[in-house]
Amino acid sequence: MSIFMRLRRGSDADLMGLGAGLVLATPVLVGIGYAAAASLGVAGPGASEAGVERIERVLTESATWRGLGLTLWVAALATALATAGAVLVAVLFRGVGWLDRVARGLAVLPLPVPHLVAGALGVWVLGQSGEISRVLAAVGAVRMPAEVPALVYDRWGLGLALTMAWKESAFLAVIATALLATRSLDVEEAARTLGAGPVHTFVRITWPILWRGLLPAVIAVFVFVAGSYEAAMLLAPSDPLLLPLLVADRASDPDLGRRGDAYVVSLLLLGIAVLAVVAHEWTRARWEPLDP
Amino acid sequence: MTGSRAATAFPPPGPGRVVRGVLLVVLVATSLGPLVLLAIWSISGRWLYPSLLPTEYSAASWRALGTESLGPALVTSGALAVVAGLVGCMLALPLGRALARLRGWRRHVGAVAAFLPVAAPPLALGTGLQVVLLSVGLGGTATGVLLAHLVPAVGYLSLFFLGTFTLFDARVEAEARTLGATPWQMWRHVLLPMLRGPIAEAVALGFLISWGQFALTLVVGGGAVRALPLEVFSLVRAGQDRAAAVGALLLVVPPVVGLAALRWAARRTTVAPA
Amino acid sequence: MVLMAAVTACGGRESRETGANGDRGQATVEALARLPWDSVLGRARGTEVVWRMWRGDPSINAYVDGWVAPRLRDRYGITLRAVEGQGPEIVNQLVVEREAGRHTGTASLLWINGETFSNLRREQLLAGPWAGRLPNAAYVDSASPIVSRDFEQDPAGFESPWGRVQFALIYDSARTPVPPRSLTELAAWIRAHPGRFTHDQGFTGITFLKVVLYARAGGVTRLQGGFDSTRYAAARRDVFAWLDSLRPFFWRDGATYPPDVAAMHRLFANREIDFSMSNNQNEVVTKVRQGILPPTSRALLLTDGTIANTHYLGISANAPNSAGAMVVADFLLSPEAQLEKRKPDAWADGMVLDATRLPDEWRARFAAMETDPRQVPRDSLAKYARPEISPRYHARLAADWRAHVRAR
Repeated sequence: MSIFMRLRRGSDADLMGLGAGLVLATPVLVGIGYAAAASLGVAGPGASEAGVERIERVLTESATWRGLGLTLWVAALATALATAGAVLVAVLFRGVGWLDRVARGLAVLPLPVPHLVAGALGVWVLGQSGEISRVLAAVGAVRMPAEVPALVYDRWGLGLALTMAWKESAFLAVIATALLATRSLDVEEAARTLGAGPVHTFVRITWPILWRGLLPAVIAVFVFVAGSYEAAMLLAPSDPLLLPLLVADRASDPDLGRRGDAYVVSLLLLGIAVLAVVAHEWTRARWEPLDP
Repeated sequence: MTGSRAATAFPPPGPGRVVRGVLLVVLVATSLGPLVLLAIWSISGRWLYPSLLPTEYSAASWRALGTESLGPALVTSGALAVVAGLVGCMLALPLGRALARLRGWRRHVGAVAAFLPVAAPPLALGTGLQVVLLSVGLGGTATGVLLAHLVPAVGYLSLFFLGTFTLFDARVEAEARTLGATPWQMWRHVLLPMLRGPIAEAVALGFLISWGQFALTLVVGGGAVRALPLEVFSLVRAGQDRAAAVGALLLVVPPVVGLAALRWAARRTTVAPA
Repeated sequence: MVLMAAVTACGGRESRETGANGDRGQATVEALARLPWDSVLGRARGTEVVWRMWRGDPSINAYVDGWVAPRLRDRYGITLRAVEGQGPEIVNQLVVEREAGRHTGTASLLWINGETFSNLRREQLLAGPWAGRLPNAAYVDSASPIVSRDFEQDPAGFESPWGRVQFALIYDSARTPVPPRSLTELAAWIRAHPGRFTHDQGFTGITFLKVVLYARAGGVTRLQGGFDSTRYAAARRDVFAWLDSLRPFFWRDGATYPPDVAAMHRLFANREIDFSMSNNQNEVVTKVRQGILPPTSRALLLTDGTIANTHYLGISANAPNSAGAMVVADFLLSPEAQLEKRKPDAWADGMVLDATRLPDEWRARFAAMETDPRQVPRDSLAKYARPEISPRYHARLAADWRAHVRAR
């Protein structure tokens, strides 16, 4: 039975729901469509004749793959660090005392900091002549900026990963604390009444609930970091170029004909986003206990 | 009774205290430190390596708030964000409710569709939206930028309301209807009062999403709509660190204060720890 | 949705192929060319002019917003609104506007030069000719090869000159009391001070590479007369050989480069490197005043010759207010505006007017203008000025450098 027949037979609720989904997804589909059209040379600055050579060329350039590699690496590192920080705070500061509340509040403080402010802070704090370096110089640990490890414009994007981890850990901390305060509480109590020890409770009950509940948000953080432009602009190395920077680099290429390359890389980024969104939904559906 | 909070017996008290203490110090340094740094930068006159603190101070950038670009940008961002929060919430509520009614594979498709605009890289999303908005004459206008901001905002808020309505007991609605309430009465007297909390939270979230947007505003606004993130980014790129710090504080402090107020208000109305 | 986007795009391509006929700016400019200047002034009175320009320097913004805009309002009744936009963004924006069928765009006046001008002309996105009919155009130093040619291109009335600058290195006289004066001395200095020199990836960095290109090619005259790929290839080999011999001594071993000139200034001011650079030899003055550079910073011209170029104003083909834009461009070209712009405590941007053609009182005021001690003396400027060459050299050099330095 075709999908249309099934839809017609389905209830109004299904139609409205899928309609809602269509409304929400349309702008992204338009974006993907335009990027595809521009990659094929049909639209945008640098449009010439329609054809797949541009797509082939960009996808075979090493700049694209090295950029992809660095983007995925930085996103993974930032996500891992953010998750570790958030889990640490959520687990260690679970109580109701003022200390725990203050700690949780502090952990959530960076939540509204936009990526670009985080990037600027990264330059001012983590740079080789940044605040940390100056403190080290003041105590005599180093004598000149070059002796401080390079975290800005560095080959492995460490400064960028640290900065993004700082910012995104707040987001994960909110979710982790909520999880521990609600979802795992009842199960833990049940385990305690059955006589399980604290370590055992944590390892067998708390932690599995925690990571399963966090996984969708972790995937979300991964894709946010991968798609971020502002912080990368301020902290990332010039080689390899992170994908968002590669898009901007191609879009301002002096050679108009090459500007269409930006759209191919854009498509790559959009592809990563789509994969991440599907993964996010899959993990959420798998482990969301309240889904009907 | 003893079981409830004794769940925090992991990690064990002794070494746990030390770890907690250390972590607390780290948290204070990493959460408050950057804000303090922004404040110092905003009044610095000349601050070069290796000085730990500025060698000269200057309130020039704060004084220039009214005359230079940051003041108007603050207003622009504020207006956009408030409207985006309100309109976003209004749109997302029915959308989220519709999504919550789905079952099976359709539900997953719906959730994916809602999350797509949030996860899509703003730069790529923006270029697509730019062409469409330009062709209807909204390119480079505040309305166009507002519409662009609504895309991720409505997406995220729809997911939020999807969650809310999933937990929501649909029986209340059914009961109200069997008692003879019209849809309008049901909304006004039953649903909306119950949803007051989530609605407030959604407006705040929508505000935050619009407030922090950069790439969308830049691409769709074509540089003509000067929201605060754009100004701050231009200033940092131009090396104007003092003015950028002022802008950064303007960007960060209002949402922080707002969020803190929200959490404090939420604590007063709920029993479970926030 | 995909179809909709594709159809929009196809429609856009078509309008490009039929030329600029539908564009409002071009039509107005052609009409205005037949009218006396007073009519242009009359048309412009009471209107708003949107000017797309780089807004990253507070000194420039202060000049435009604080000095130019009030006078335009008082004398001509024009409201000036400056919006952010740099070269490639301007081109992309205009292309996308045309694609979306906007025959009336947002911005009327554009701050452009070099390859931006070249790209805009090729895509027929500029309105013109109009620059020659401005009353103040009579004062322009058209004999100077720096002003009369934009990267070797003839403005042909499609852009009006606004200011001129010359490339200079910046050094700290406290750290480097005896700076190198030529490229050879610079190379020796770099070897003696490893990790203390670099250049940026942006326009300024590529201009530095062009300075090296001129020197290694045996002088700018060897590269003039349009783009020649054989001459370019030979010169490029020499430039990369020179760079490769020095790369291990660059900052971060030459593996990474700062993204733009502001990052360079930050590194220089914070003692990570000992040289910065700028396309404007007077940027030292304004940046020291803003607290960004240390007070002991000085500008340095290389004796091999440094590149001087002019920046211009253009009117977009889909400009909503060409009359207003022309009036603004004319005012900016006036001796009064050029004098104010040149002041060290304003922008310190060079003027494009010929001092000998000016009325006596203006000539006297220019001669009497104070100079900041950090500024490079005027005769040095002239002695070491070299004109720009075809923009294709810049484009090719930028692309080839990136390919060479990053593993492609």
